Amino acid sequence: MLHDIVTQRARTQPDSTAVIQGRRRVTYADLERNVSKIASFLARNGMQKGDRVGLFTKNSPEYVAAYIGIQRAGGISVDINFQDSVHEVKTIINHCGISILIVEHSYAAIAAEAVKDTPSVTMIIEIERQPGGSPSKAKVSPRVRYITLGDILGQGEERRAPAAATGTDIASIVYTSGTTGRPKGVMLSHDNYLANAKSIIEYLHLSERDKVMVVLPFCYSYGKSLLTTHLMAGGTLVLENSFMYPNTVFDKMVEEGVTGFAGVPSTFAILLNRSNIRNYRFPELRYVTQAGGAMSPQHARELCAVLPETKIYIMYGQTEATARLTYLEPEELLKRAGSIGKPIPGVEIDVVCEGGVQANDGQEGEIVASGKNIMAGYWNDPEQTNKVLKNGRLYTGDLGRKDGDGYLYIAGRRSDMIKSGAHRISPKEIEEVILEMNEVHEVSVVGIPDEILGEAIRAVIVLKEGCQPDEKKVQRHCQTKLASFKIPKEVLFTQELPKTSSGKIRKFLLKDRSLTGETVR
Amino acid sequence: MDLKAEIRKYIIDNFLYGQDDNTLGDEVSFLENGIIDSTGVLELVSFVQETYGIRVQDDELIPNNFDSLSKLEAFILKKQESKGQERVDTAATAVSPN
Repeated sequence: MLHDIVTQRARTQPDSTAVIQGRRRVTYADLERNVSKIASFLARNGMQKGDRVGLFTKNSPEYVAAYIGIQRAGGISVDINFQDSVHEVKTIINHCGISILIVEHSYAAIAAEAVKDTPSVTMIIEIERQPGGSPSKAKVSPRVRYITLGDILGQGEERRAPAAATGTDIASIVYTSGTTGRPKGVMLSHDNYLANAKSIIEYLHLSERDKVMVVLPFCYSYGKSLLTTHLMAGGTLVLENSFMYPNTVFDKMVEEGVTGFAGVPSTFAILLNRSNIRNYRFPELRYVTQAGGAMSPQHARELCAVLPETKIYIMYGQTEATARLTYLEPEELLKRAGSIGKPIPGVEIDVVCEGGVQANDGQEGEIVASGKNIMAGYWNDPEQTNKVLKNGRLYTGDLGRKDGDGYLYIAGRRSDMIKSGAHRISPKEIEEVILEMNEVHEVSVVGIPDEILGEAIRAVIVLKEGCQPDEKKVQRHCQTKLASFKIPKEVLFTQELPKTSSGKIRKFLLKDRSLTGETVR
Repeated sequence: MDLKAEIRKYIIDNFLYGQDDNTLGDEVSFLENGIIDSTGVLELVSFVQETYGIRVQDDELIPNNFDSLSKLEAFILKKQESKGQERVDTAATAVSPN
């Protein structure tokens, strides 16, 4: 089981460091003890196998212990993005019926507000600002039991909870944006996680000597894969919760002798264009990985020049595939610019044209994957599940092609999802929120090219007669309902949206960066 | 408007969408409070460079210089002062007989 990875390492290397954050260092023995106490507490307090437990926190040693502890007690962990608004938190709690919510002190007020309208929640466990610190003063409904993680970890008793799960049981639900605007809860089993982690460890050659710098949030599949792979390999997670000050992250990498670094295209855009990386030396840095998009030839060349001794892996995956589907060997990076490589061990990939016919070399089609890492389905949503899972194969919605040597290239997406930084964002979800405003007659949301983020969000709005355009008012309204990364960076007002003869909005016409409200046609 | 007030207005307009609920105190950390993220700080750097005529070096992008209104004000004043000093030094060199 997924939760056994900590137990095994606590037996073979108890004094090795599992997690580092700031000055804090948590050994495998410490982690095992905390996992055991959390699992035991949950089991003693009525948690049943398959119950959903929410994790509403940034990356921390407590996150790692709680995530594994939930699974050891037979529960299903549900990640809630720490940037989510009250409205979004409520939606997720109600969608999968979370009964216990583990929340970081900074978000305790949001959680307290959300549980007013979420009757399934019976307990909140607060992670204090620092171990042993005092809890926040969040006012929680009296029907909800409130306890701090410090209280649980401070208990002397370590009665082991029954490990009730089997490999096919769901270990966690990870929410991802859907094209409909409805949340989609990707159900991942213990077997999914173990299979994907094993493959990643194999091709990255991870071992107990590896220390990875984690700037990606665990609530996304890429960040989560760093957690599972490095704990399974007996390595170390070095946590930094922001890439806002890259030089601070580099200092930590040097100080800790970090061997691995993982980022998305925007991370590397910042690293190459807006940081001091050329003045640093990372003698221990063995590899860097990028997922979430191919690397431009320009960035690939620059990164090779900046990190000449470091292997650079480009990877591709989806939450629905636990995390990873393909990787490009470092030796091929400059030869096959823009490629996402070949399937990882244990995964098969086909490019399929309309009608299910396999594409020829160079021909575009949908990327279809199979392997033990493919999700069990979307929580409580057989309709959406059946659209993407057919005969155990995952229809990714990504369009791609293979070259004559079997290397894959992404050609686009079937849907109009926006990829901004590390986030996949549904335009529909934002459009629905903007349409709640009385002044708005019609709206279309698109991604526009952005040097750092890949895509930035633009909303194009047609107002009702007599209403005055107010960009900030639209952004403020979005702020009350949406996570900050979903708030449109640009709001244009126009008289009419461009449409096809059948009335469908011609979104591609709205993506031109130089567009203004007056030039929309 | 003084320098700190100008920066406060920029941050409220651009990162808080005009919502001024008096929470942006002089010492409030932009990072800790989720006011600015990794791309937002780059916009802030551009604003500072264009508005105050200074050049922010890559190694100056650190929390001590940017992570609150007070720190940013102190950083800008220090940069302007050293820029002024450079001008004085250059002028002195230009008139020097050596």
